Amino acid sequence: MITNKKILIAGVGGQGIVYLTNIIVETAMLSDIPVSVSEIHGLSQRGGIVTAGIGLGKYCTGFTGKANIDFLFGLEPLETQRCLPWLHKNSSVIFGDYRISPYAVNAQTAAYPDVISFAEYLGEQCKEVVFIKNFPENIDPILYNIFLLGRATRMKDFPFSVKKIEEAIQNTVTEYQLEKTYSAFREGMEFNSVIQPV
Amino acid sequence: MASVPVFNPAAPADAIEMTKQAFKLSAEIKLPMIVRTTTRVSHSRGIISYKNIQDENRSPRFERMPEHINIPARTAAAHTRLLDKLKHKSVLELLSMNSKIILNGSKAKLGIISSGVATSYLNEILYQNNISEKVNLLDLGMIHPFPEKEVLSFLKNDFQKILVLEELDPFVENAVRTLAQKNKIENEIIGKGFSGLTTTGEFSIDIITRTLGDFLQVTLNNRKNIPIENSESFLQSLPPRLPTLCAGCPHRATFYLLKLAIPREQSELILCGDIGCFGLGALPPLKMIDTINHMGMSISMAQGIYESFNSSQSSKKVVALVGDGTFFHSGLSSLINAVYTRANILVVIFDNRTIGMTGHQSHPGASQHLPKYQEIDIPPLLKGLGIEVVEIIIPFNLRDGFEKLNKAMAHKGVSVVIAKGPCIFLPDFKEKIDERMKIVVDENLCNACANHENISLACSRCYSPKNNLSRAKAKLFAEVSIPGEEQLCPANICNHGFFNSILEGDYKSAVEIVRDKMLFAQTCGDICHRPCELFSTREKVVPIKALKKLVSFMDENFYDFSLPISRVKNAVNKNKSVAIIGAGPAGLSAAYDLVQAGYDVTVFEKEKKAGGMITYAIPDFRMDKAGFDFEAMQLKEMGVTFHFNSSLGKDFTIEKLSGEFDSVILAIGLSKSKTLDVIENNIPVEKRTDALSFLKSFYLKENKIKNGANILVIGGGNSAIDAARAAKKLNSKNKIIVSCIETENTMPAFAEEVKPAAEEGIDIIHDSYIESISAVKEGKFNIVLHSFSNKKHLQNLKFDYFITAIGQTTEPLIIEILPKDENTRVRSTNGFTGYKNVFVAGDIKSGNNMSVIGAIASGKKAAVSVRQHLENYPFEYEGAKALEWLNENSTVHVRQVNTVTTNNLREEIEQFNLYQACMKCNHCIDNFGCPAMIKINGKVEIDESRCTLCGLCIDVCPNNAIRWEQ
Repeated sequence: MITNKKILIAGVGGQGIVYLTNIIVETAMLSDIPVSVSEIHGLSQRGGIVTAGIGLGKYCTGFTGKANIDFLFGLEPLETQRCLPWLHKNSSVIFGDYRISPYAVNAQTAAYPDVISFAEYLGEQCKEVVFIKNFPENIDPILYNIFLLGRATRMKDFPFSVKKIEEAIQNTVTEYQLEKTYSAFREGMEFNSVIQPV
Repeated sequence: MASVPVFNPAAPADAIEMTKQAFKLSAEIKLPMIVRTTTRVSHSRGIISYKNIQDENRSPRFERMPEHINIPARTAAAHTRLLDKLKHKSVLELLSMNSKIILNGSKAKLGIISSGVATSYLNEILYQNNISEKVNLLDLGMIHPFPEKEVLSFLKNDFQKILVLEELDPFVENAVRTLAQKNKIENEIIGKGFSGLTTTGEFSIDIITRTLGDFLQVTLNNRKNIPIENSESFLQSLPPRLPTLCAGCPHRATFYLLKLAIPREQSELILCGDIGCFGLGALPPLKMIDTINHMGMSISMAQGIYESFNSSQSSKKVVALVGDGTFFHSGLSSLINAVYTRANILVVIFDNRTIGMTGHQSHPGASQHLPKYQEIDIPPLLKGLGIEVVEIIIPFNLRDGFEKLNKAMAHKGVSVVIAKGPCIFLPDFKEKIDERMKIVVDENLCNACANHENISLACSRCYSPKNNLSRAKAKLFAEVSIPGEEQLCPANICNHGFFNSILEGDYKSAVEIVRDKMLFAQTCGDICHRPCELFSTREKVVPIKALKKLVSFMDENFYDFSLPISRVKNAVNKNKSVAIIGAGPAGLSAAYDLVQAGYDVTVFEKEKKAGGMITYAIPDFRMDKAGFDFEAMQLKEMGVTFHFNSSLGKDFTIEKLSGEFDSVILAIGLSKSKTLDVIENNIPVEKRTDALSFLKSFYLKENKIKNGANILVIGGGNSAIDAARAAKKLNSKNKIIVSCIETENTMPAFAEEVKPAAEEGIDIIHDSYIESISAVKEGKFNIVLHSFSNKKHLQNLKFDYFITAIGQTTEPLIIEILPKDENTRVRSTNGFTGYKNVFVAGDIKSGNNMSVIGAIASGKKAAVSVRQHLENYPFEYEGAKALEWLNENSTVHVRQVNTVTTNNLREEIEQFNLYQACMKCNHCIDNFGCPAMIKINGKVEIDESRCTLCGLCIDVCPNNAIRWEQ
């Protein structure tokens, strides 16, 4: 049994962060891993930052702290970058270049950070980093969360089995969305065109 | 603690268990309970089990008892009964059950008492760092009544130190200290103030890690993880991501309306906001809220601010902004008080038909439980309170909303505007949306420049959200909307930017915008014949010329030439030289553009002063001569070399200059006056002159015509009228008559010049020519005038003196080398004569309109041709369209002038909207900020996945760049 692992999912309201969290929590429960979650979503529906921390194991909460996140899902690059304080040398990170400009960038009072150089830096610092520069065109951006989950299953420290995730998707997703979700998950699993800086 | 039991869960599993306990206890001891869930616990999830929840079926009953009547005589007894309930056996049992003591034997000398979410942090850190055995723990699940028995038994273990961990006030800590003192326990108790623990904000893993390390005097790091390095530079200056109102939110529309109706920068108006989604209006880009405090406080705050300002003379209206749910919850009682005290406030109710922020609940004004509950309609309620002005607006109807908001602002006393539009999550919103449509942005109209092909050219239009807001306002409310292309300037001045700067009150920028393209802001304000106004066939056009005059005659604008001078300094030197022959408006304009483009420019002028016709032919009663001299001489400051008293043909030749310079521009004008045989043959030379010579001597004050002379001016152009008026100015007893072959409507002189001439007593005989002349006595001559159209006799008149003003021509000898047209003007292709490196501009250029602006434009065009010739400049002359129009319509009659003064300025100009695409627009992002609008590569795009098809951006865009598409 895997214990003492913290997963963080970071992104912007509307990207399906809580949705992804639910699937991971369901997977943990199906795998008999104690799980708890802490979500921070100030006005998530209104374009704010959303993060969800998932603690796996006994006395492991979803609260983030300095260098205590082992596995980071970045649904949006800027919000991935904002999570740097929580990462450590053994962290695994998966994120994609799907940018949602905050107002300050739209209003030209701030620049969007350079995603490529950030990805390269992260690759040097963390244990395993998967950076998806271009999502396949046939994937609806709303399913990038599931796509990332699929690709994450091939990472060294990913804590769950594919079988349990598929079961969790079955339990969590409405029938109407099921086929699309599976297909995004499988495409993610098979996706190869990535920049792996390390 | 209100004398009720307080449960303080640390995690979701506690919360469900304690909630069940609380319900059971509440029923038992007949008291309300508090289950105190703090934010972090509320936003946590964990594995829980509901177990068995007993559904008890109780029937309501009421017993008449004295205990239900709490009048003063009975309150002491009631208080005793209340406190007795807290000593109930079941309460004591729960206190014990929820106080968990973990003792770790003799090795651990330290104790920690924790409560709430602090316990969760503590447990995680102890377990993950494998140090659980170093401390003894007491977790308090209930904090009121205080579990004295359990705490005392913990304290009696004689620990070295006891640390108390709880968020916010030291409630547990103080109770522990009191208990210790009562029981003479002297072990050290620490809490707030230790290791940076404060009474504000939330705890976190990192705070408790630090505190625990300090308490144990060890260094703790989270699970021994090694942090990544050098992350500082990647964390610096990350753009913030503030939440924003949803795409399509009616509140954004209402705020936008408020921005239009109440320009914040110009007023000290205070906007008191309230709790709810619409509180996001305090953040950029809306920034239309000054205060947010407690729920319902907007109205009472506005009333209070009004009261306090009212006593110090100023009685400005204060605005309260409140959501519909909050209005019913606690705004209404404040409103009643505001009406009662006759406060001068405007209340805007953001009625989105739900309580949006907390998840779309009902409220009395918008119930989802009809017909079970009754819905309350706000307007009759307000009318019932005696509020006179109650307006309902649909936030998406900007024109109507603007009017009603203004009306409500103008009312003295309480006025209310109800901005009614459903939240985008309600079916009412979705029903109105046609999902077959989409909204698209025309990239040619969004952040594009309609004036410049070469966008690196200077543009002094200030980029300012405020400025763009005025443009957007003009689009909505101006009576006359004119596309910029209808009011073009042959000198390519950005009239759109110029007008909008004035609309915004930024006169300095307006002058700079003129000077981006042309030296003569003031001179053109005086004497330009306004093709920009003639270009349009509309009844009303923007009075560009009058505005130019207005702003350029303001000294602080006029005398500051630092910007064009700095442009020369910053220009990259092209190391190419250009000679310009003639310092008239054409030559000087070419010099102005070339010197700013980094060329070495030398101007040769036969007179001792610059200006050509402007200096020597346009009389000082038509323009400010000193202003012109100042403008012309700025070229010296900009680095142009002048050789005065230097004439073509005498001092140098075109061939010579073309060898010495990289390019030559010939701009000598038409200096030779045309003559009339009937005058030449009959009038002695001392009794006649031509208009140019006469006006030059008028300027130099060298006239020798005797006073009281009868003078005939022949000609119908501006020179004729100028000469006639100048002759009248010489001596008011002079009798001046103008004879011209044209009718009143076809004479080329500007109507605005002819009118004052008539007022000054000058007679104009239209449709006439001199049939014959005969000398009579005392140096007078008898003139026989015939009709030009039917050749019939008109009248006989006697004159002393004659001025011919029938046009000018070239002196062909000095330009022998160049190709000429039938009027001996120089032919060219785009200003290039075909001879070596020689270009031509101004009146001498074949086909060019003979006017000041025509000369200026041709000088600019020649400068572009020179640049194309010398540096592969890739652009064509950008004023070409207007210049072409001007050259083809030389006889268009000039309209009556609109005068604009500072007195009626705002009224005059606010009727207009002169619009076109503009690079310095960011209006929708700056002032509207819909999250579905994204700026990519300088252009706004609509993110279809976020757009809710509300369509308001179509009205918001001042450039008309956004539209529906099927």
